[in-house]
Amino acid sequence: MIQLTNIEKYYANKGVKNYVLRLVTTTIKQGEFVSIMGPSGAGKSTLLNIIGMLEEPTYGTYEFLGEDVTSLNERKRIELYRNHIGFVFQAYHLIDEMTVYENIEAPLLYKKIGSSERASRIADLLDRFNIVAKKDLFPNQLSGGQQQLVGIARALAAQPSIILADEPTGNLQSAQAEEIMTLFKKLNQEDGITIIQVTHSEKNAQYGNRILHIADGVVKEDLAVLS
Amino acid sequence: MFKLNLKIAWRNLWKNKGYTFINVLGLSIGMASCILIFIFIRYQMSFDEGFKNENRIFRVVTNWKYNSYEDFSAGVPIPFSAAARNEIAGFEKVGTILKRGGVISVKDAAGKEKLKSREAVYYTQPDFFDVFSDIKWIYSAPELALSKPNSAVLSEKYAIKFFGSVKSAIGKTITVGDKTNLLVAGIIEDQPQNSSFPLGVIISYETYAGRFNENWDSVNSSTSSYVLLKDGLTAKDVQASLTRFNQKYYPIQKITGNQTNKLQPLRDIHFSEKYDNFADSSINKSELYGLAVIGLFLIITACINFINLTTAQSVNRSKEVGVRKVMGSKRKQLVSQFLTETFAVSLVALLIACVITELAIPPMQNLFKGRIEFSLFAHPVIFIFMAILVAFVSFLAGFYPAIIISKFNPALAIKNKISLNNGGLSLRKILVVVQFSITVILIIGTLVIIRQMQYVQEKSLGFNPNAVAMVGIPTDSLSKIKYNTFKERILRIPGVKEMSFCQSAPLSSNINSSDFTYNGIKNEDFELRNMRADENFFKVFDLKLIAGKIFRKSDTANACVVNETFLKKMHILNPQDAIGKVIRASGNTVPISGVVKDFNDQSLKERISGLAIFPGNDQYWNVAIKMDAEKLVSSMKEIEAVWKESFPNGIFDSGFVNESINSYYESEQIMGTLFKVFAGVIIFISFIGLFGLISFVATQRTKEVAIRKVLGASTIELVKMLNGSFLIMVFIANLAAWPLAYLFVSKWLSGFVYRVDISVWPFALAMVISMAITLITVSIRSYKAAVANTINALKYE
Repeated sequence: MIQLTNIEKYYANKGVKNYVLRLVTTTIKQGEFVSIMGPSGAGKSTLLNIIGMLEEPTYGTYEFLGEDVTSLNERKRIELYRNHIGFVFQAYHLIDEMTVYENIEAPLLYKKIGSSERASRIADLLDRFNIVAKKDLFPNQLSGGQQQLVGIARALAAQPSIILADEPTGNLQSAQAEEIMTLFKKLNQEDGITIIQVTHSEKNAQYGNRILHIADGVVKEDLAVLS
Repeated sequence: MFKLNLKIAWRNLWKNKGYTFINVLGLSIGMASCILIFIFIRYQMSFDEGFKNENRIFRVVTNWKYNSYEDFSAGVPIPFSAAARNEIAGFEKVGTILKRGGVISVKDAAGKEKLKSREAVYYTQPDFFDVFSDIKWIYSAPELALSKPNSAVLSEKYAIKFFGSVKSAIGKTITVGDKTNLLVAGIIEDQPQNSSFPLGVIISYETYAGRFNENWDSVNSSTSSYVLLKDGLTAKDVQASLTRFNQKYYPIQKITGNQTNKLQPLRDIHFSEKYDNFADSSINKSELYGLAVIGLFLIITACINFINLTTAQSVNRSKEVGVRKVMGSKRKQLVSQFLTETFAVSLVALLIACVITELAIPPMQNLFKGRIEFSLFAHPVIFIFMAILVAFVSFLAGFYPAIIISKFNPALAIKNKISLNNGGLSLRKILVVVQFSITVILIIGTLVIIRQMQYVQEKSLGFNPNAVAMVGIPTDSLSKIKYNTFKERILRIPGVKEMSFCQSAPLSSNINSSDFTYNGIKNEDFELRNMRADENFFKVFDLKLIAGKIFRKSDTANACVVNETFLKKMHILNPQDAIGKVIRASGNTVPISGVVKDFNDQSLKERISGLAIFPGNDQYWNVAIKMDAEKLVSSMKEIEAVWKESFPNGIFDSGFVNESINSYYESEQIMGTLFKVFAGVIIFISFIGLFGLISFVATQRTKEVAIRKVLGASTIELVKMLNGSFLIMVFIANLAAWPLAYLFVSKWLSGFVYRVDISVWPFALAMVISMAITLITVSIRSYKAAVANTINALKYE
């Protein structure tokens, strides 16, 4: 599904190149649950951003679903966002001015889905994540764990094939973190959604089935997780 | 503390250069416009100021009350002054002054004519200068110089114009008309521009040939009488004796129209609509108020920018406020700190405004055709005005933001968790709506003014003024003999089509009207306008007859032609009925020979009068010459040459009818230009404010934009989202502006009898314009926000 070949990324500052990623080559298949791990500043988030097409690599090629997306025009990228990719953020990034219901509805509106279909999908998601009672609340009226549930529900609303999660539990207490990770695992196993997460925690990484260890921009280890 | 505040203010302003620039730019343009308007209004208000007895000085005016209308004149009958001097005890001094035109010639030492020009001359009694005792005499004194016949007094300017210097003018002779020689017996200082009686050439009243006229019925608006009341008296105190005076003189001669005299305060002369003045410079006070309101609008718009941007930005400064509060700053101190900042900005804006004003003054003088000279620091009151302006702006623009900012809760402020949009209708939105309502009102006003002026230019007047020149002709008996040969020679010039002897063009404010009898019955309802012209007048101006025919060629009045309005006013339904009926008016008793189709005989601000056109060789002072439009220049040259040969003693003086018609709308045209300029300025100020506001909103919503982008929003969708609220605000502003604009334009248009109908299109167009500019302004910034790099906004909080 995802094919990265010799991805390099650096920032030039006064002629000095600060490498963030060096010669990253890896393949991620449909249905995998990959955790990217490594110390701070190793380049984990940059790698995820490149996979999410939020940043462009300096060198290297990136194929998504067999298509070269290394540098994509905006219209095509939006197309991918609408149909294939869901994002989950450490800081949730819900829109403060919108209710839970409206937040989940937003991607469906951009995807131009009819109102009845929208209503049923949102009802389904609210049901599934047990947040029906919260649907008319605003994000700042929810706890962190609940906000992240809404964040995931929103990412799933458009029925993506892949979820990109940047430290999804970084701001959460451990009990809530566990709940979120269980949910990810369930989504991966039951719905076959590909998940790529960046995490610091060895424990969270164990929920997946593959771990990429990155240090100083280089993939040091590529391990399978034995369940 | 103040110094520290100022320093921090400076740093903050520098940090937000963009917003500061918008604030200062808007404020300085607004201030400059205000200063310009102020200079103009002050100039107008300063007319005839500074006379030490100004509260006791009055002009005597004359009113008439007919059955169906009233009439007003700035003049008095000739015998008035002498009678009033004796009979009204409250008058300390009564001074007559008459304005007439005259050809002045000056000879050099050898007796050769060295200068000849047409000037306004003022026949004046010495008493006039007792009323205006502040007018300085450089040489001689009123009593000495003006009590004898054949003496003249010049102003400095004219002394220099005629003789080169003040000194050499004294004792010399000037000639008015052909033979009246006058001894220059006195010199006065030049009158300021803001004077309603711009005295230049003054001739002793004893020289005036008509001074023995005893007719109380005849009033010339250029025969004025100024009076000085006795110390301590007001106009009310002398009213009783003036009423007695009126009762005594006017009924005796059975004067129609209930003629009375009235006192008009000196300072009202310049603002009088009913009564004209020697300087022809009166202005309506409502126009001044209109300008003052526009000035206020401008400054309010600029202040709204300031308030909006400052409150919007205040979120960024919440941390500073929090920390200061924790350190023990009182709210009052914070308020004063923010006010200092506003004050600094206003001061900078004022300096820039002064520069802009200086730059704008020459074009403004141009607008008034150089008749008015302005300068920024001409009068110390401008400094007071500037001080008030800065204080007003700092307070209006600074107070609300200061209150809001200083109210922040320190705990939340330090964590940057202040949100300004606590739902509902925020003040900022209301202010934007107010601002745009003002803008839209001005746009609509401008559109309507432009349309009316266009209408005035294009409306068919009922006659054809194109390619017709009016040329003055001398009226002395010697010249009159030459009229026929003159005409023959003119008609021979190639390019000249037709020529008519007349008094004035069909449309003219030079009105001669009188009461009349129709078919032997005296009319009491209206005065008949008498026009004098020969039979060719109709052809020259393409006037159409609807009944009867033109009077036969004649040197004296043998018949007359009346217009349709006359018939309407007389309730004559069939034009044929009027033919052959006898009219007696202003000394002529003649039958009506024809009825002319109505034409506009005055500017479109006035209704068509009931009028009659008589021939009368002894009362023409102009010829109207119709030319071939393509040969205007060459024909005019030849006409001038022929004229000069025919009348060697006269001064050639000509003008095109088209141009003189346009001159009746000069003040409206100036108003129109001012509106266009100020509407432009206000649009500019509003839209830079809008740009500032959208910039801020876009910055604030960066995160939201980024989130929506990863959710799959396209750029257009994001731009639409950011623009939406602004378009709605401007739309509401349009709705709010419409009724106000309607009131304003209908009031303005009511000044014209002939006017455009108020249609929906200026309103719709104003909406389209304002919405379109909003869309463009806002889109520039929101597009930038929508295509910004997503990832920067989504980094950790």
